[in-house]
Amino acid sequence: MYEMDLLDNTEDVNRLLARYGVKFGIYKNNTFKEQLFPFDAIPRVIQKEEFDYLERGLKQRVMALNIFLDDIYHDKKIVRDQVIPEDFIFASSGYMPACEGVTPVKRIYAHISGIDLVKGKDGEWYILEDNLRVPSGASYPMIARELCRRSSPKTFRDNQLEDNRNYAQLLRRAMDTVNVEGHTVILTPGRYNAAYFEHSYLAEKTGAHLVNGSELTVENDRLFYVDYKGKKERVGAVYRRISDEYLDPMHFNPESVIGIPHIFDAYRKGNVALLNAPGNGIADDKGIYYFVPKMIRYYLGEEPVLSNAPTYLPFYEEDMAYVLAHFDSLVLKDVAEAGGYGVVFGSSMTKAQKADFIALLQREPRRFIAQEVIDFQDLEIQDAGSVVERKADLRAFVLMADEPQVWKSGLTRFSRSPDSFIVNSSQGGGFKDTWVLSH
Amino acid sequence: MGIISLEQTNRLYWLGRYSERVYTTIRLYSKCYDDMIDDIGDNYADFCRMLEIPNIYRDKEDFNQRYGFDETDPNSILSNLMRAYDNAVVLREEIGSETLSYIQLAIYAINKAKISRAPLLELQNVEDNILAFWGIADDFIESETIRNIIRTGKRVERIDLYARLKLGVKELKSELRRMHTRLVSSGMSYNKVCLDSLIALIEHIDETAEVDYAGIVKNVENLVLV
Repeated sequence: MYEMDLLDNTEDVNRLLARYGVKFGIYKNNTFKEQLFPFDAIPRVIQKEEFDYLERGLKQRVMALNIFLDDIYHDKKIVRDQVIPEDFIFASSGYMPACEGVTPVKRIYAHISGIDLVKGKDGEWYILEDNLRVPSGASYPMIARELCRRSSPKTFRDNQLEDNRNYAQLLRRAMDTVNVEGHTVILTPGRYNAAYFEHSYLAEKTGAHLVNGSELTVENDRLFYVDYKGKKERVGAVYRRISDEYLDPMHFNPESVIGIPHIFDAYRKGNVALLNAPGNGIADDKGIYYFVPKMIRYYLGEEPVLSNAPTYLPFYEEDMAYVLAHFDSLVLKDVAEAGGYGVVFGSSMTKAQKADFIALLQREPRRFIAQEVIDFQDLEIQDAGSVVERKADLRAFVLMADEPQVWKSGLTRFSRSPDSFIVNSSQGGGFKDTWVLSH
Repeated sequence: MGIISLEQTNRLYWLGRYSERVYTTIRLYSKCYDDMIDDIGDNYADFCRMLEIPNIYRDKEDFNQRYGFDETDPNSILSNLMRAYDNAVVLREEIGSETLSYIQLAIYAINKAKISRAPLLELQNVEDNILAFWGIADDFIESETIRNIIRTGKRVERIDLYARLKLGVKELKSELRRMHTRLVSSGMSYNKVCLDSLIALIEHIDETAEVDYAGIVKNVENLVLV
């Protein structure tokens, strides 16, 4: 369905991506390095009907997660009704006591959600992970699409695709929906953050102002941007790309030098919107993931459209017994880790490693989840002049304005190693554009 | 959004200064390199003295390699280009991806020159990308304030370098006029005493008179308050 020039020009597209600084940062041996994010021009193609189905499931999931966050920081009905054990809430590192009773503008918590999915060889889509804190990745397919249209105009003339370059408008709408009064800014920890390219690119494309903590100040529980003549301009919405713990040294990590003192006070009083809301970490905790289908039924009274990967919680005796009996066929994930770290396959451990791991699992059952290894579909990629198949996932983005809207594209990440299921850029993976057909 | 912070002002100003430093020092370096082909003394020692950079080089071959391309030498052309990049990369939404991309291209070009058998030829590509950067900055950046801040940095650096190199009052007069207009329009804070001194030292002297280059360097270095 694509012209060969799309593939033939891959190197030129990658050259242009390098020119525009499409990179991610990585620390190796305590040294910061910028790496290019390899792009493969063979797209992931999703038919309209299939995406309609994904869209329904993604909206449903994010709606439920948003209600869950509101419930957890207010009434806690889901705990009282014993749908989720309290151990999974209050012991989670993502739960923030400071957010108790705090209601964000329009009760929106998950303004930008990145939901990771894979398509199994059985043709089913499975949710692997919910990212409701600061999910990144939308900028890469956006800019790749722009360049691929130049690389192969006929391909894009002959195919009816959803245009994914509208991500900036969707994001801007999400920011404007909750802006209380004043400017909209994107708060970055700085250029040594892994996703700095994305911060700056989205600022350019949304027309928001890219700022760091030192450029903002709080006075009388209101947030201001200080210009170069010392004039203070009110800020009404902050799309923050820094973690909760670094957001405000007066409330969270006192050693944070990238946060803004008292910004949490301004937020708590409704004088500024923070996207995403602080405290969202509880909703994308890998332990909570297990309960998302239950929360969809509980809050929405609906059956989940999209399935989780079959998951076990060693916290439950029955699940622990299953995990120990099927250890070699499972993948185990440390709930506190992200970015492809803390993921081990039972089958890849030596006897000694397995014994040590099981001892750890029995000591800290809350710390891990176990999942069946989904045999997910391979996608074609170009490798040294030939086409080979590699594992790939999809990060879909849901943006919440007055209602959730699913971006009709997504970041498809692939493993460059034939034996690996790990697709993260930090682990050497590459990316593809995701085409959603419009007819 | 139309507002810029003090930190961004500082970065825009230094982006202008470092990009100019790269451009002018490449041209000087090429000239110096050329002179050394004919073994006209140790020109690099004079070059270092004029620019007030430490002469850490063993010999002219060492200078040719390290001054151009050694990232660990803080005075090398490559280091100055990396500083231009450090400032530019955090200004994407102010200057635009297109403008920024020419600094990135200059880095690719200098790294190519570093391993080239004909580095002086390859350095032409660095110059070209810096020129394109200025051109697109003027064309693409909507905010006049931002353009003026970058251009002020560029002109300040040029006056500084030209004075150190004792290039003559005619060139300095031209640069001072262009810088003066930009500085006033940029809205940046500046030292009025230094500006008046520069005008006295450059504008009001006869082209045949002796020029106080050291005084010009001192005043231009302290002119902008960022």
